[in-house]
Amino acid sequence: MVRAASDYQIPEDRIPLPPSNAEVLTTACDYCIVGCGYKAYRWPVGREGGPKAGQNALKVDFPAPVNSGKWISPNMHNITMVNGKPHHVVVIPDGDSKVVNVQGTHSVRGGALAQKLFNPNKPTAQRLRQPMMRVRGTLQAVSWDTAFEVAAGISKHVLDKYGEHAWGMKSYSYQYFENTYAISKLAFGAVGTPAFAPHDKPGPGKDTPGIDFSGINPFSASYEDWGAAEVIFFSGVDPYETKSVLFTSWIMAGKTPNKKLIFALPRKTTGVAWGESKGGLFLPVIPGTDTVLHLAMIRLILENGWEDKEFISRMISNKWEIGSGMGRGTRNTPWQWVTTWGKYGTDFANYKKWVLGYKYAELDRAAKITGVPANLIRKGYFWGVTATSPAFISEEDYQDFINISCGAGTRPGQVISRGGGHQRGWMGGAGYPRGLSPEKMPGRRKKEIDLDRWTADGNLRFAWVIGTTWFQAMAGSQNLMDAVRGMTAQSPHQIDSFDAKAAIETLKRRADSGGMAVVNQDIYPVAPIGTEYADLVLPAATWGEEDFTRCNGERRLRLYSKIADPPGQAMPDWKIIAGFAKKMGFKDFDWKDSNEIFEEAARFGRKGVLNYHPLVVKAKKDGVRAHDLLRSYGTEGIQTPIRMVKGELVGTKRLHDETLELGPPEGPTMHPKWLTHFGTQVGKAVLLKSPWEDFQDFYERVTPKGDEVWVTNGRINEVWQSAFDDKRRPYIMQRWPYQFLEIHPDDAKKRGIESGDLVAVENDDLLVQTGGYLGVDGKDLTFTELEKAGKIEKSKGSFTAVAMVTEAIRPGVTFAYFNFPENPANSVVHRVVDPMTNRYRYKLGKGKLRKLGESPYKHSFTTMSFAPRDIM
Amino acid sequence: MTQEAQNDKFCLSRRAFLLSGGTAAGIVAVTGIPGLVDAALQTATYPRRKIGQVSKLKVDVPLVVQYPGKDPNSMAYLVKLGKSAGGGVGPKGDIVAFSTLCSHMGGPLIGTYKGKHKVLGPCPFHLTTFDLSRHGLVVAGQATESLPQVRLEVKGDDIYATGVMGLIYGYHDNLAIQG
Repeated sequence: MVRAASDYQIPEDRIPLPPSNAEVLTTACDYCIVGCGYKAYRWPVGREGGPKAGQNALKVDFPAPVNSGKWISPNMHNITMVNGKPHHVVVIPDGDSKVVNVQGTHSVRGGALAQKLFNPNKPTAQRLRQPMMRVRGTLQAVSWDTAFEVAAGISKHVLDKYGEHAWGMKSYSYQYFENTYAISKLAFGAVGTPAFAPHDKPGPGKDTPGIDFSGINPFSASYEDWGAAEVIFFSGVDPYETKSVLFTSWIMAGKTPNKKLIFALPRKTTGVAWGESKGGLFLPVIPGTDTVLHLAMIRLILENGWEDKEFISRMISNKWEIGSGMGRGTRNTPWQWVTTWGKYGTDFANYKKWVLGYKYAELDRAAKITGVPANLIRKGYFWGVTATSPAFISEEDYQDFINISCGAGTRPGQVISRGGGHQRGWMGGAGYPRGLSPEKMPGRRKKEIDLDRWTADGNLRFAWVIGTTWFQAMAGSQNLMDAVRGMTAQSPHQIDSFDAKAAIETLKRRADSGGMAVVNQDIYPVAPIGTEYADLVLPAATWGEEDFTRCNGERRLRLYSKIADPPGQAMPDWKIIAGFAKKMGFKDFDWKDSNEIFEEAARFGRKGVLNYHPLVVKAKKDGVRAHDLLRSYGTEGIQTPIRMVKGELVGTKRLHDETLELGPPEGPTMHPKWLTHFGTQVGKAVLLKSPWEDFQDFYERVTPKGDEVWVTNGRINEVWQSAFDDKRRPYIMQRWPYQFLEIHPDDAKKRGIESGDLVAVENDDLLVQTGGYLGVDGKDLTFTELEKAGKIEKSKGSFTAVAMVTEAIRPGVTFAYFNFPENPANSVVHRVVDPMTNRYRYKLGKGKLRKLGESPYKHSFTTMSFAPRDIM
Repeated sequence: MTQEAQNDKFCLSRRAFLLSGGTAAGIVAVTGIPGLVDAALQTATYPRRKIGQVSKLKVDVPLVVQYPGKDPNSMAYLVKLGKSAGGGVGPKGDIVAFSTLCSHMGGPLIGTYKGKHKVLGPCPFHLTTFDLSRHGLVVAGQATESLPQVRLEVKGDDIYATGVMGLIYGYHDNLAIQG
């Protein structure tokens, strides 16, 4: 047998130490929402520090002590250009940190941040370096001026002839205030288009509507609260895989390290296994049935009278308070719009009556639907109610009632939050023009657009895609790709000249024949939107290449320092937006630097939870740049909303905080009600009913039949988002060279599949919604009615993956990574939105499994591991 | 594996060692590989030290050994996995050795070996697990590197440590601290 070469990173056995005079810059992690604090040490190539504390900038004797946060792993070092000269750069967690990543702990993602910096001798050499135009089918370099001229030329034509609805933008929502402010100022302000969607959803709006509609801010909690909880109920998430350091620094530790963890998930991962080893509980729920599980638990609590009666009487809205609009009209609140006038919101007495009389809340029926044995459900809830500090984390909820009946929400260690999420980097420079949206709820209210459906239905003539994999991140990925390919690469109108005017004329002809021009702005070539469809590809500068700001999952605002030069002609997104805006003739896009935007944007966030306006006011008073004032707060930063107390800036540890004592608001300080109460008109939370019937028709239609299995998906700790950086990290690619699929041994055996086999996942019964923009009568937009009206079409989707056979997953359920763009698991997820929220049911894919043979990793000793993730 | 093959393996360079994954018993030719001379020079300064005997090892029972130094950071596990492994030596190619300090933050991995999965961990600090059959690759967790693997050679019944693949936790240079 001949041995084949496979992926293998040659491990380093030494790293250069930063000399004691190395420059030190503070930053935070670019990846998950936990947002750990990091320091970057940089010094010119040619020198190194020594192992004695006096000889290196870390001021530590090597070998560095265990758990010190002062050890530099080889992946924390890189060589990059600073002001045109090669420099060593070490990006290491802040070992002195007392917040977030206490003592310098880190995730596998953040620990490799240095590898993000551009080094032409490493895979980062694939970075986009110059603007490119697709001429005669090939992307070739052009000047920024040509790129702006072409983009502006076709934009003007589309706006003049087809209107703002035909000018679309698909953008990240999190990649720093300075960029998102410019992006939203352009899209919603200057252009005024409703055809916009953030990276993770088909349209704008709340990430977790169920929590939001109750009046709970999903990021109200402080990490300290997770540390202080006695019991935490996790629904649909294991934070070890999604918010690693929150788990290791706070959930495993904190004030109450012996807390009990309850997980409702279809598969067992590291955090679940750890929770079980500490006496916790695992509720192996069938995908999509969480609502029924929650209802059964709520019923148990109400039957036994275990609810926190004092808290409910104080903090839950009564029927008069639900209708209260405080002068804005009784029903003029977002949750009322989408919940069709009082269908869900109710006071406690009526909620209790509803649950106790509701058949889907009955324990035995719930056990059958959810697949979780009745005794486990019973046990889970008993713990929640007997704890004095229960906390709740949920993910992917849309119409779930999140349990506040145990008294969680407003006190230290008693909080409600979500388990995933990117950092909070959205600062709207203008509001979303919902009034222009083509979509409407039954009744009178407009709702935000579903940009995917709008695009696939052929309504866009221009699309600008910024920093996202669009199709692979959305449901029915391949079906959506097919639609866009038809409007772009397959159009007969392709640019064949470097003359900007000629290029614009070609794109006009394309638009006028039903096609679409595409601009893709990113840091790497993105397939297929950039590599195959885009007419213009624009190179962006990113983390570490510009001074940026944003908040983490406890609203902690930090400065992310510029560390190194961006590659080639790459520019930060705000600067690209400004260049285009000026070509369009739009006013007020003349920023000198990112600090100027940061200061300008502050006024627009004053009423929100990310309010940092007082910091800008103080900086002006002190005669310093606001970025520089924030820089002085280092990796600790300051938690928003920022307040001013006796002339000093004060952060806000938690929202809805009953223990927070506020004096009169001082200077620019705002004291919105949600600082000390829930985020509703009266400050009391709204109980929302969650009838299973509203979801049941869709759920039953997509439930696997015959030899189909559920194909659910989610994050794994070692990979971030679309693996855009991980693909350029040889070590991560050695660990995860390919999409994988966890399969239960029973399901694998039936199909002759072993770990390491290459498997095709095929869904020939993929549902795709077309049209259905306007609801008139109450049930118009439900799945049943859409199907009756012929708005649901059948399509197909598939991807390949390497099988990982493991008992950690439920029989009948398989699990893949959510966004390996080459093998998109979302391809087998139905592109039908929830009618109330316009959100996909991302976790409810299905398909048949076909063994294709052995993958190259099956017998490799170097690449990919098939050991399970729940070893404890 | 024949004695002749073992002798060949004994001569393998650092780089050849790295690429000797796979279950087949074929041996990579070492001559003519660019960069080989450099690699050999680089590893020349690791001490060559006897750390155990093939006949004394029992499957799935790891032994603590010291390598490359005598300091606490140099504690390593010598283990016979019972199935062939990346970098494995001995008749079955199943004897491997790894640092016992987690390559995340130096957590102690002694006592965490899981024979069923050939995994070391989870680390008591932050739960990282390492696959000992695959050069110490991270299975799940927070380490940015594989667990450093001690390069082994077998001569007769004796097991020699001859180098370390990967930076041991705490060190800035595996060769800077010895003794």
